[in-house]
Amino acid sequence: MRIAVCLSCLPDPETVEVDPLTGAIDAGRTLYVLNPADAAALELALRLRSDDGTVRAVTIGPDEAETVLRDALAVGADAVLRVWEDQRTATRPAATSLLLAAALSTEGLPDLILCGARSLAGGSGKVPALLAERLGWPVVTDVLSFELSDGRARFVRRLARGARSEGEVTLPAVLAVEAGSAPLRYAGLPGLMAAKRAEIPVRHLPDLGLAPMDLAFPSATAEAAMPPYPRPREIFIPDSASAPHERVAQILSAGVAQKAGRIIDGSPEELADAILAFLGEHGLLEEPA
Amino acid sequence: MSANANGRSERFDVIIVGAGPAGSAAALLCARAGLKVLLIERGEYPGAKNVSGAVFYGSAIVDALIPNWWEQAPVERHVCRRDLVLMSPTTAVSLDFRSAAPGYVAPPYNAFTILRPKFDRWFAAQAEAAGAFLLTSTVVDDLLWEGSRVVGVKVRRDEGEVRGDVVIACDGVNSWLARKAGLQRELETHELALGVKEVIGLDEAVIRQRFHLNGEEGMALEYLGAVTEEVHGGAFLYTNKTSLSLGVIAQLSSLVEHKKRPYDLLETFKAHPAVAPLVRGGTLREYSAHLIPEAGWKMIPDLYTDGMMVAGDAAGFCLSTGIYIEGINYAMQSGLAAAEVAIDACRRRDFSRSVLRLYLDALRRRNVLTDFQAYRHAPSFVNGERLQNLYPELAALASEALFRVDGNRKQKLLPLYWRSLRKVGGKPSHVLRDLYQVTRAYLW
Repeated sequence: MRIAVCLSCLPDPETVEVDPLTGAIDAGRTLYVLNPADAAALELALRLRSDDGTVRAVTIGPDEAETVLRDALAVGADAVLRVWEDQRTATRPAATSLLLAAALSTEGLPDLILCGARSLAGGSGKVPALLAERLGWPVVTDVLSFELSDGRARFVRRLARGARSEGEVTLPAVLAVEAGSAPLRYAGLPGLMAAKRAEIPVRHLPDLGLAPMDLAFPSATAEAAMPPYPRPREIFIPDSASAPHERVAQILSAGVAQKAGRIIDGSPEELADAILAFLGEHGLLEEPA
Repeated sequence: MSANANGRSERFDVIIVGAGPAGSAAALLCARAGLKVLLIERGEYPGAKNVSGAVFYGSAIVDALIPNWWEQAPVERHVCRRDLVLMSPTTAVSLDFRSAAPGYVAPPYNAFTILRPKFDRWFAAQAEAAGAFLLTSTVVDDLLWEGSRVVGVKVRRDEGEVRGDVVIACDGVNSWLARKAGLQRELETHELALGVKEVIGLDEAVIRQRFHLNGEEGMALEYLGAVTEEVHGGAFLYTNKTSLSLGVIAQLSSLVEHKKRPYDLLETFKAHPAVAPLVRGGTLREYSAHLIPEAGWKMIPDLYTDGMMVAGDAAGFCLSTGIYIEGINYAMQSGLAAAEVAIDACRRRDFSRSVLRLYLDALRRRNVLTDFQAYRHAPSFVNGERLQNLYPELAALASEALFRVDGNRKQKLLPLYWRSLRKVGGKPSHVLRDLYQVTRAYLW
């Protein structure tokens, strides 16, 4: 079983310091870390690796992204690969998934691809689905755990409000793993030292048979984000036609009008007629033909 | 796996524990000498665990290693103003120093304010560039022994044994390794101080205006007296580029004795009429606390044993005399001294006590031991009751009386100080004794 894990690298929120004047992030302090959901995916991949199986970690990102590949090597990934176009500063999910698909195809498609369900930085959760689409594979999102048997993966998915769903998918497939499903193991010393020294292979667009134009997707751009506009609350205004003491009473009652009932007296027939008339007046009764 | 097999046989000439100023300086020098160096840091990056203010007085030391280092290092401001402030609860009397002499306003600069997380990261990167192998997020749990000789360290990871010919412990105050090796005893609470520090963000223009600074000039203020109430200690305030570092340093034993919380002291300090206008309008960026070894000469451990040396705060190399509070420069000097000896030992292939004894000579040559010996009486004097509370109060009270014009007959200085001394409850005999102590501690 060959498993590929897609990793993304993001600035550790605890180390991000924003200059209050310029709004720029202080790069001297920022640490880049492995996205938590991707760490869970990596751990699951390592647990599932059979004796003759391999785990390959792939990331799309600039030089800083090497740290997550070193992390992967340190805990025991067999091979790593970084893909990037040096002029870029970031990629959107459409481009990320295209690069991942191209890189994985070029290097030999695996039997199973694991992704983190969503990144802590962007958080759209689109990449796994788009990647599966580009490969023509099925995708399962929000995976909490899964087992492999006979070319199938039996999985448990997270649904809203704590509900779970179970299902099965035939491999090859893309599984998007939820953060926290499995804590990443702690690297041993020899692995860590070897990872620190390792040469991290890099592929650029031409290596994957792509041109920069291939990554130029028409995309919707968010220009502004607005907080929800609160619904105007109706303010009670007393009836200006009524007498002052009544208006004061209305204000003091905080707009709560007393339930006004009408009591009618009469014979049962008269009462029945009055009720019918009332319902008719309020349009609650169809007039008998 | 092949990576594991490679790692297990790994062996280093020098293993340095702790990538602070001492560790990185040692690693830099050893790596430049062509030794195979492992530098182990427990933080996610060097500097992640560091707290110091800080003013860095060791500019010349780094300059000797990396010429014009301040052009590439993340420094904040070069210090050209220093204030020593004596305080009573309402009053501050200060000795203000400002210089435009060479070294204070033009390179090579004498001292810089720095932010340790940035500076340490840069300094360790220099050691790495020179060829040292830096391992972060790794805690050293124990030493490896062969008989009575230290032959490596054990880190808190699987297969975590690494062997090295020399271990240099730069693992900070309360050094675990120095104690494991039986070099340091359990420290007493009066030998340690707790520093609590805040970094307060402030506009660059406001900082220049408030502290009367031009461009990249910086200021360091040190406070003594009522800022720490009856707790023994002091306070500091340093200017960074767009922030202030300020904090209170309080002797651990007197914190316990007076049941004071250090952050309460910090709030008292910030609310003092002489300090409040300096920090007004700032936003809190960082809060941290750390132990400081304060006892100087008396707490210096045995500095070496077979296969191991101790440097930096781990060796108690923090000079706190009232006039100076310096640690980073001594840490670097001791790291360099240890490195020199390690290089020498590697050349001779002899790592026994008899060779590592040269560390003491190297420390004297680099003025570390000599400074601590010269100021050996200062720490106990600085932490004395009268210097801590009585004299600042006296200075404040006398100055208040001196500058008050209220139509009463003017007093000459001696009677004025005499009366002030009586008022704060001091005895002339104590003053004489302290005068003797001052001269012994500082003058010769």
